[in-house]
Amino acid sequence: MIVMRDLMLRLVLWLLLAPLLPGIINKVKAWVAGRRGPPVLQLYYDLAKLWRKGVVMSNLASPGFIIGPAVAWVALIGAALLMPLGPAGSVVSFRGDVLLLIYLLALARFCTAWAAMETGSAFEGMGAAREVSYAVLTEAAIIAAVLSLIVHTGSVSLSTMLAPSAGAGAALLVAGLFTVLLAENCRVPFDDPNTHLELTMIHEVMVLDHSGPPLAAILHGASIKLLLFSILLVQAVLPMGDLSPLAAAGALAVGVLLVTVGVGLVESLLARFAFRRVPLLLTTAFLLCVFALLVAWKGDAP
Amino acid sequence: MTLGLLLLIAFLALSASIVVGFRRPRIWLALTVAGAMLGMTAALRVLLGGESGEWQSGFLLGGETLHLRLDGVSALFLMLVAVIGGTGAVYSHEYWADQHNPSTAPRGRVCWSALLICMGLVLLVSNGLHFLIVWELFALCGYFLITLDRERNGVRAAGWLYLVASHAGTLGLFAFFALLASRTGSWNLGPMRAHAELAPLFWLALFGFGVKAGFFPLHIWLPSAHANAPSHVSAIMSGVAIKLGVYGIVRFSGWLPIPPAAGWVVTGLGATSALLGIAFAFAQNDFKRLLAYCSVENIGIIMIGVGVALLAMTHGNAPWGRLALAGALLHVWNHGAFKALLFFGAGSVLHATGTREMSRLGGLARVMPWTAGLFALGTLAVAGLPPLNGFVSEWLLYLGLFAVVTGKGVTAWIAMPAAIMLAMAGAIALASFAKAGAVIFLGAARTQPAAQAHECGYWMRGPMLVLASICVVIGLAPVLCWPAVAGAVASWHPTWAIGEPPVSLVTLGSAQIALAIMILAAAAWLWWTAYHNGLQRGPTWDCGYATPRARMQYTSASFAGIVSGWFRWVLQPERKARRPRGDFPAEAIRLEHMPETVLEHIIAPVGGLIMQASSTVLRLQHGRLQFYILYVLAGLIGIGLFVFWGCIP
Repeated sequence: MIVMRDLMLRLVLWLLLAPLLPGIINKVKAWVAGRRGPPVLQLYYDLAKLWRKGVVMSNLASPGFIIGPAVAWVALIGAALLMPLGPAGSVVSFRGDVLLLIYLLALARFCTAWAAMETGSAFEGMGAAREVSYAVLTEAAIIAAVLSLIVHTGSVSLSTMLAPSAGAGAALLVAGLFTVLLAENCRVPFDDPNTHLELTMIHEVMVLDHSGPPLAAILHGASIKLLLFSILLVQAVLPMGDLSPLAAAGALAVGVLLVTVGVGLVESLLARFAFRRVPLLLTTAFLLCVFALLVAWKGDAP
Repeated sequence: MTLGLLLLIAFLALSASIVVGFRRPRIWLALTVAGAMLGMTAALRVLLGGESGEWQSGFLLGGETLHLRLDGVSALFLMLVAVIGGTGAVYSHEYWADQHNPSTAPRGRVCWSALLICMGLVLLVSNGLHFLIVWELFALCGYFLITLDRERNGVRAAGWLYLVASHAGTLGLFAFFALLASRTGSWNLGPMRAHAELAPLFWLALFGFGVKAGFFPLHIWLPSAHANAPSHVSAIMSGVAIKLGVYGIVRFSGWLPIPPAAGWVVTGLGATSALLGIAFAFAQNDFKRLLAYCSVENIGIIMIGVGVALLAMTHGNAPWGRLALAGALLHVWNHGAFKALLFFGAGSVLHATGTREMSRLGGLARVMPWTAGLFALGTLAVAGLPPLNGFVSEWLLYLGLFAVVTGKGVTAWIAMPAAIMLAMAGAIALASFAKAGAVIFLGAARTQPAAQAHECGYWMRGPMLVLASICVVIGLAPVLCWPAVAGAVASWHPTWAIGEPPVSLVTLGSAQIALAIMILAAAAWLWWTAYHNGLQRGPTWDCGYATPRARMQYTSASFAGIVSGWFRWVLQPERKARRPRGDFPAEAIRLEHMPETVLEHIIAPVGGLIMQASSTVLRLQHGRLQFYILYVLAGLIGIGLFVFWGCIP
């Protein structure tokens, strides 16, 4: 029962806190540009409005058009529930849970791409193709990062893997994982979350035809994914296990805030890359993670 | 009923079905399914009940006594033969029915039963000579099934390639079994790990069985054979026949001593095969070829597990080997189930539309909802996504690889690249099947045949439902399969008994169930909310694009463009393009052909050289008698000189 209560608490926490991050990013961007910007809680208002709206569905679409976002949403929430939260640890922790997390993200990707293809639109096909193609490189980078943590800690379970700091390779790992975070969450320089036209042809274009509650699920899922990656990044680097619970909670919160502000700054100061260069940047992220792996191997060798 | 009796009745039922197969399709179906069920019961009794059987009789066949054996390893594969053999028989009852294929359907039924018998015997016989005989018969049955539709050129070419490749492999096996028999002095097979001098024979077995298993670069026959065969045959070839190659490698690496490099080579081959196989699959435009290349990938995944187990054997029986082998063996079942499901789905599409080109299809989900739903489930399983079965076996395999890495031995240097390549292969598999499912079933119909498609009947739907439920059950309750897999691992190597399922597998099972429940709940909730708020239908918005046409949709080639660009060095695509010219261009063409690189760029040139050399030699054979007499004379003089010099000490 305690497990169930803990799980429910976390679920509520994730559902409620996640939409805060895009708001903060937008505030940072507005601040850099000297505008006032939308309120921090804008995404909450949007979600509430979308949830009450009706749905317009393409004539071509089958029920997968609505089931896809639902599955993706659940997959992202499930991945979030697996993530240990600083001093609170994780509710469900087992050997190899990190793989379940990675593959849940993959499930979300598959379902979003599937729902996008339902419409038969060339734009959305283009977005889906790019999404699943670039994910090949990000997945390699993530596995390399996970391997470096495994080598460093000798554990295959998230809660023990993320407890100590990343050691000597931390800087490499931060750079690699931050790039992966930007790519996986459709941020500049990979994608531009502000426009929905052909300029932003990865994640955002896949949701062109969605409306109402399914769109709300997609947007909310995206914010959960952003929070998930920020927490992963912070916990991979900071020695969560060595801090007192209060300090760890504070460090986690500050770390996530820093990552969010960092995303906002990158978005304000950098332009979107040409598509030709996206694979290069992702390969760089992969190589950074591989180097982190090698450093971890060398640093901890007996 | 004893184990032996069960198998005997299964054999008799299948033999009887060969006899009645020509005239009586319904009796044939009943007998085949009964034989498959009996075989399945026997396999289950070995796997779950822990029995094992060994039978020897004085009856001589080819000068050798009959020696059969059914243990954990062979029972695991026998189960697969029985399940796919039974469901495939039911499927073919409608798919390759007498009224559509009056001339070939009876032959197909007979060959199907013969194939099942031969595959069962390959798993049972324990005598080198008899193994070679049934192996050859099994290959021939496969050939006749692949070439059922031999009116078409492509089918004949594919069958021919299959036959040649298969015999190249059998040649390796001839050498393997003959050398084995000459070293041990008997054709009898069984555990002989003490004879260290037999270790180099492993390479022969790896080649011989590897051709059948079809891992890269020995896969050359596989794509065309699986694509051109009737779909129920593709299902059994892809789901089961290539697994018998895996069976051979697993069986003989367990019975014989292995060279120290074996684990490294097999893991490396597996990882390469996984990554390149799926890269080829993603680039295909023919959906059955895509599925065939995906089998190359999955065999690679299985080989990674086997390779890690071999590494563990040469590195002090490390415990991670068991985990990886368990993952590999479970993947044998999983791949069998979802690949057969996908081939059955592909068969329904082919049956309904008559084309294998993905870019001529589209929008089939509306006319074939059952096929679309089941195919979608298969794509989720094959992409290794939770909560289905593909994820469970890949998860076990990853755990084995990660355990190698945490061991920090020298073996980590192969495990780390293998894990990264496996992850990339997984991501490309997801992309490939997002493409296949979406281009075939979603959007608008691109051609007339796709618009006029029809749903398949109950006989085709039933087997797909059975296989889909296997995928779901193994995914949600992996613990149920554990005794079977653990038993197989234990009989592979007696000191490797693993006993109880690991705690994490039990937790994973509950997590998968929770996930499935959450998915159902969320889907229902979102659907209900959408309906409650009002659901309208309209044209695809598409950024307000006014008159989209079906041909403007993203095609399979455009979907795969980015990744096939990365793999251009190995894919070697052949492009032919004529750009539109002038103000009123009359025509523009862009053709793209994905060759089978190893076959067309390596095997074919080498074969061409051999043919050239042969035709040069052929010039000596011109039919003029005088010259023949001259040859004889020259030969005699040559021999004379040889003898003359030979006599001088």
